[in-house]
Amino acid sequence: MNTKDASTAQLMRQIEFLSTLSDDDVAKLAQLASVERHEAGTVLFREGDECEHLYLVVTGRVALEMCMPRRGCTRVLTVGAGEVVGFSALLGGHARAAQAIVSEDTVLIEFPAEQIQQLCDDDHDIGYALMNLVSKALLRRLVATRLQMLDVFGDSKAEGPVSS
Amino acid sequence: MIANTGNSIDPWLAKSVRIDRITSEIDGVATYDLAFCDPASAQDYRFLPGQFNMLYLPGVGEVAISVSGDPNESSRIPHTIREAGNVTRSLARMSVGDSLGLRGPFGTSWPLESCQEQNVILVAGGIGLAPLRPTICQLLADRDRYGEISLLYGGRSPDGLLYTAEYDDWIAGGIDVQFTVDRATAGWPGNVGVVTLLLERLPLPEPAATVLLTCGPEVMMWYTIQTALTRGLAGESIFVSLERHMNCAIGLCGHCQMGPEFLCKDGPVFRYDRVATIMRVDDL
Amino acid sequence: MATQTKWKERFLARENLQSLLDELMSDGFQVVGPTIDQDAIVYDEIDSVDQLPQGWTDSQEPGRYRLQRRDDDAYFGHVVGPHSWKRYFFPPLATIATADRTQDGWRHATPDDPPPRLALLGVRACELAAIGVQDRVFLEGPFVDPIYQKRRQAVFIVAVNCTLAASTCFCTSTNSGPRCQTGFDLALTEIDNGFIIEVGSAAGAGIVSRLAVEVAGADQLASGESARRAAVDQIKKRLDTENIRDLLLQNLDHPQWDDVATRCLSCTNCTMVCPTCFCSSVKEVADLSGDHVQRQREWDSCFNFDFSYMNGGVVRNSIRSRYRQWLTHKLASWHDQFDTSGCVGCGRCITWCPVGIDLTKEVAAIRATPAKQGTQAKVVS
Repeated sequence: MNTKDASTAQLMRQIEFLSTLSDDDVAKLAQLASVERHEAGTVLFREGDECEHLYLVVTGRVALEMCMPRRGCTRVLTVGAGEVVGFSALLGGHARAAQAIVSEDTVLIEFPAEQIQQLCDDDHDIGYALMNLVSKALLRRLVATRLQMLDVFGDSKAEGPVSS
Repeated sequence: MIANTGNSIDPWLAKSVRIDRITSEIDGVATYDLAFCDPASAQDYRFLPGQFNMLYLPGVGEVAISVSGDPNESSRIPHTIREAGNVTRSLARMSVGDSLGLRGPFGTSWPLESCQEQNVILVAGGIGLAPLRPTICQLLADRDRYGEISLLYGGRSPDGLLYTAEYDDWIAGGIDVQFTVDRATAGWPGNVGVVTLLLERLPLPEPAATVLLTCGPEVMMWYTIQTALTRGLAGESIFVSLERHMNCAIGLCGHCQMGPEFLCKDGPVFRYDRVATIMRVDDL
Repeated sequence: MATQTKWKERFLARENLQSLLDELMSDGFQVVGPTIDQDAIVYDEIDSVDQLPQGWTDSQEPGRYRLQRRDDDAYFGHVVGPHSWKRYFFPPLATIATADRTQDGWRHATPDDPPPRLALLGVRACELAAIGVQDRVFLEGPFVDPIYQKRRQAVFIVAVNCTLAASTCFCTSTNSGPRCQTGFDLALTEIDNGFIIEVGSAAGAGIVSRLAVEVAGADQLASGESARRAAVDQIKKRLDTENIRDLLLQNLDHPQWDDVATRCLSCTNCTMVCPTCFCSSVKEVADLSGDHVQRQREWDSCFNFDFSYMNGGVVRNSIRSRYRQWLTHKLASWHDQFDTSGCVGCGRCITWCPVGIDLTKEVAAIRATPAKQGTQAKVVS
């Protein structure tokens, strides 16, 4: 493994999210990956774009926004260290469902979509491990999204029979 | 007839207090600083972080409100109150100088002794930051006794975040303050998403030496706790503040029961492992 | 209250029962005892034995209460009715504080209500146990209720040993009767021509010393024993209390709660007649000017729909959850809270339930098919 890939692998080993992957799998992924630094304001992708990369945040913050007529673009989630942006890149054949904008200086590990899909197709073991990790991340994000929807801080100024 | 040798403190009797200052916080929320009319009562009053008082508006009723200020500041007792029912709405129409009644302090408190030498994580949601604010004051006053201290705070929207003017002071005092909103407004530069996500991302080098205190909507606290447990914190190191309707605050009226616990005297602050089972039952 | 000296039992002739009331009244006590009102035996102020339900008994079943004539003229040949003695220590309505508007703001005060001096006549063993249970609630917690305390200190108790049992009685299961053991000033056992009197305190001894009594003879004592034995023999109902606290608290999702919810009307009768239920609410009562306010505490019930109202919603939003709260509190949580059961086996809740719910049967149904042990909280990873 060359030094660039070795240092990428080392960086990946520090991320809790990837801790269940074997060293071998991390090495294979490190070969595809590149580590990039982005300034605040960089647009990683827009809604409707083809999926070109899967991103893993090392440090920093990425904002996900969705845009609507009249309302403009609303930030629906911010993603931070140890989290994934752009899940659809792993699955292939989907367009981006949100736009991702770097919100403060951020370091990302970037995996090209075609290559990571090819790796999973060729090596089902690593494919299974990645799908497992990504499913868990999606589950957490789904629960978090539902909690946002529940509006737990919603105003409760209801009239009641008992004074409070 | 046996002579009355009873307890001379009548737990039903309120003391007279005056509104000393009113601070508008966020929409529908204000902080009322109360002062005892009688200097002897002012001298005697002491509260611990997490405790609450029953505030009494004669003719309207009583309401249980956590004390939200510095426990070492005895001249004024701040209460951050959200308008929700009859009593709080009547209170919102009152002015500085008006008189009310106060009974208290009641309830259990946040376990600051258990936090010493430990890393401390405070996770608050909405108005739940108010009962934790006295703890923040204590932590800052004695910063050296504690390890890493983080405050993770979530609100509905940017204008639903409490005490924003104090965050810089807290950061300067040695607390890592992070906040997030469920719904962003245009141009919001900060975090968006539920506060549990902040906890998932927080570096936890020593989960076994970390204490977590949480206060907010029950569903938020529940998921916060599950995340904490998954990340290696012990159930005995997690503390929650639970809420039920209070009528007497002295364990005699039955209203505040949640399973076998009277929230007014066994709580409102509980160690998580004691209430884990009852928290799971929705309509208990 | 029982002194170290064992007082020998006395015998009071039947025709002298009035003198017991007279001595109590001459000491300034208002006697409260059983009397008939609205076709039931209730507790009320009396001054004559003629007001006692002589020759009457009560026939009780789930959801049914009827008075019947006895074939003798026993004064206490009945058990317990819809009233309990808790109303005299924990009044259904009481002013706990007042507030008056002055130039300098509100002035808060405790009402200066001297407690009535009551002599309770006819307190049964289950009721003595219930008073003991409420003593723990109102006197032994971190806060003492001054109203309960004053009334409790001022009272004189004449207990009566049961000589029969209703079909709804189950005090033997809760270890609270039918024999009066402690907590009384005097205890009576009615036999053919009079009463065996046991003394339970110095105050009781003082009253007895002024009555025309003689030391009870062996025959009289044997009569008393056999009369009390009849009560034990007539108790047929059982509550299986084996590990009942864990049984109920580990079965909060049992289908039996759904079943009882189809029958329960959430009418609050059981809590009103129960001698240990203590839920209450304080409300504000102001005069027309709004300058003088009374804080009034009144009985409430966990069956009331808005009892658990909070922040825009009712926590116990179904009959299922309210019935479960009542039963698990009474038979399970009470142990955690007060180190005793909340139930004294008096059976009132069974008799006065309009649909005849019998809590001994509800517990048995849960016991028959308990949930498996060891279900852990689900963790979302």
